[in-house]
Amino acid sequence: MDRADIKKALKDPHKWGEKYSLWVTYFCTGCGIIEIPPVITSRWDAERFGVIPMATPRQANLFLITGYVSVKTLGYIVTTYDQMPDPKYAVAFGSCPIDGGLYYTSYNTINHLDRYIPIDGWIAGCMPRPEAIFIAVTKLWKMIDGEMVDGYKRYKENIDYYRKNQERVLGKKFIESIPSSLPVTVET
Amino acid sequence: MREEAIKQDIEQRYEACLVTVPREKRIGISLPKDSLFSLIAFIKDEGFRHLSLITCVDWIEEDEFELVYHLASYEDGIHAIVKTRIDRADPVYLSIIPLFEHAQTYEREIHEMFGVDFTGNDRLTPFLLTNWEEIPPMRKDFDTKEYSERMFEHE
Repeated sequence: MDRADIKKALKDPHKWGEKYSLWVTYFCTGCGIIEIPPVITSRWDAERFGVIPMATPRQANLFLITGYVSVKTLGYIVTTYDQMPDPKYAVAFGSCPIDGGLYYTSYNTINHLDRYIPIDGWIAGCMPRPEAIFIAVTKLWKMIDGEMVDGYKRYKENIDYYRKNQERVLGKKFIESIPSSLPVTVET
Repeated sequence: MREEAIKQDIEQRYEACLVTVPREKRIGISLPKDSLFSLIAFIKDEGFRHLSLITCVDWIEEDEFELVYHLASYEDGIHAIVKTRIDRADPVYLSIIPLFEHAQTYEREIHEMFGVDFTGNDRLTPFLLTNWEEIPPMRKDFDTKEYSERMFEHE
């Protein structure tokens, strides 16, 4: 860090802290998770970028969904996303969460993940290379600088839309099982 | 050869039974549904003590479901595939839980994916599918593309 950066960091220390400590919940839904071990270990070493895997969603702020999302895992994705503290960023990895990909016609794989939780960035490809994760992380930095990452705000604003879509796929029982103490509807 | 000995043994006991030995260490048995339970009981005593899998095939043009039981023998290293066909309009069959207890899970899965009822299995409850209101998804007349577009491509 040179002097100019110190000034920038002191101007907005909150944003600076956000940017360089992306703690990730890896959601190992599909084949994409196979790209994660080389990313977090010595070959590509994601910790250079401040990206480290986190054991619990309650301490993480980046949600990386790797691979196709089946209806059953969608329930857990929604639960996990609801648990993460603000500000939180969700990035979908691979082409399956974007439009269903290879599993477009499958009866138990959802086609568009952004209808159920807000997605801040997409990494296209089948499979994307590990480098793509770093490109995504550096893009995310720029977006945090420009205050363009507003997924968690959009989620709160359009909670009815998201809950409606979740209910359509996961059923009424799932929506009723969400604890009301979750802070998704509280605007601070 | 042990396979041939088992084949002759079965053919003597069950007349309407078609036994083939496609290659070494492999036996295929197809038979009418009434004698399947007793045949499985018989070959279990012959050494086929391991039930690896039960699957189902939907023969929609012939209006039948085919139940396929995979059994293996530890002593001889032989893999036996026992097949029987049941009516598609009234898919009810006997559970083989008295012979192999762990068949419960396989039968539960076939019940969910194909809609076959197994009498004697008291745990045919919802298993893998979430919020399912259609016909069982593995049946050939279930249009998975239409369902996917209706369910996930709305708006």
